[in-house]
Amino acid sequence: MYSENTELFPQASPGGGKSTIAGRKAKRALWTELISGVTGLLLSGFIFGHLILESLSVFGAEAYQTVADFMEKTLPLAQISAVVIPLLFLIHFIYAGRKIPGKLYERKRMLELGHSLKKSKNRWNQKAGEYTTLRRHFETSLWIWQVRTGMLVLALGAFHFVLVIWNIFTDMGINATAGIQAGVSGPRVESGLWLLYLFLGVAIVVHMSIGLYRLAVKWLADTWFDRKIAYVVFSILFWVYLILNFLGVAGLYRVMNGGLL
Amino acid sequence: MARTLTFKIFRYNPYAADSTPFLQEYKVEETQRMNLFAALNYIRDELDPTLMFDFVCRAGICGSCGMLINGRPTLACRTLTGDLPEVIELLPLPYFKMLGDLSVDTGIWFRQMEENVESWIHTQKEFDPAAEEERMNNELANKIYESERCIECGCCIAGCATANVNPDFVGAAGLYRVGRFMMDPRDERNEEQWFELISTDEGVFGCIGMMACGDVCPKDLPLLEIMAFVRRKMSATALTK
Repeated sequence: MYSENTELFPQASPGGGKSTIAGRKAKRALWTELISGVTGLLLSGFIFGHLILESLSVFGAEAYQTVADFMEKTLPLAQISAVVIPLLFLIHFIYAGRKIPGKLYERKRMLELGHSLKKSKNRWNQKAGEYTTLRRHFETSLWIWQVRTGMLVLALGAFHFVLVIWNIFTDMGINATAGIQAGVSGPRVESGLWLLYLFLGVAIVVHMSIGLYRLAVKWLADTWFDRKIAYVVFSILFWVYLILNFLGVAGLYRVMNGGLL
Repeated sequence: MARTLTFKIFRYNPYAADSTPFLQEYKVEETQRMNLFAALNYIRDELDPTLMFDFVCRAGICGSCGMLINGRPTLACRTLTGDLPEVIELLPLPYFKMLGDLSVDTGIWFRQMEENVESWIHTQKEFDPAAEEERMNNELANKIYESERCIECGCCIAGCATANVNPDFVGAAGLYRVGRFMMDPRDERNEEQWFELISTDEGVFGCIGMMACGDVCPKDLPLLEIMAFVRRKMSATALTK
């Protein structure tokens, strides 16, 4: 069963062209990086739309129902998303998750180093414009938070997918028809799901903002869209979407009582 | 007005059987424009001759005095005590081989990295000692000079969480080194060979993007910018050929 793609003998991987084992290995590393980045970007694009549409529930049941019907009946966008997004979600988990260190001592080292770098700002009292300027660093800790929120999104998001697919394609055995209805979603959220959606939403917004910031720095740091601009842009995005998330959950909670407004 | 500084210094001798790591406290009267080079030498001269640390040039050129200063990897010789509070904690750079107290051997790691990225001019030309040296245009020579500003202090590696858990990761210093040879016209390695060398999980795609290398670099090298450029170049090489 010998295959020349084997990983068992890494020292027997001579280089020297794209058809060699070393060449293929390098190509695979590039593709895994591209896939994790692009799926993350696509999922962020989906979240942009999702949270805006969801937060329209602050205008009450009628607005919510109009949006839901538009997405399900006028365009079959809801149905398409219900299939495509879980797939992207899974691919993103597999390819982006490969960077998470597996061993506990490795994670402890990363955690400790991130903590040390972040706290060092408070342990220096350097004034601005000194000879060597101390740059604030908390991106290592941000990455650790990205992993944590990623795990949260994986668990809570999987539940959300099951519920939404069930809701969009079937009558769930209790509804009048298949599809999202304000009369079902509202009481469902009110009865306790709001807590799950709140956590899921916050985790997604944190994960997404950090991810996009990192993606921008990794690929565009030497262009006009440099690190400083990326930081400002994605900080604004973070706060806007955090507010949208709270509005969305609060709107859904009160959707049968005329929304928030 | 002079402060009395409290130094908390990591003490451990890996070569002594009875040594256990601990933080030792020293009190030093601060003088004007004092840097850590002066402070540490005062401690060794006046208070404790057994303290181990490295300095060579005391001017940010040799790269041997990298250490964790209040939690941050940077050069001790370029750090003024005036920039620090009264309590100063000094630890050796993490990850590198520990020689004792604040002294680490960065050379072992750099040697291995150099072998991994084959940090020498690859050429098929026979060397003719009698021939006149080949000329290089000044602009390119300056560019290569710029990319050799890295002093190999190891701060970017010590501050990189990826390098800390993956001994084969070449890190910012390694990618910066590769960039120097990519520019050099005497190096005959082609695009495919460069691709194999750094488009790997030990090369640029092993980087998670935590950005600590760029933040802690005492020489302010554009490490993040170089890596973004290399990523795009590697992708373009693979996707267009």
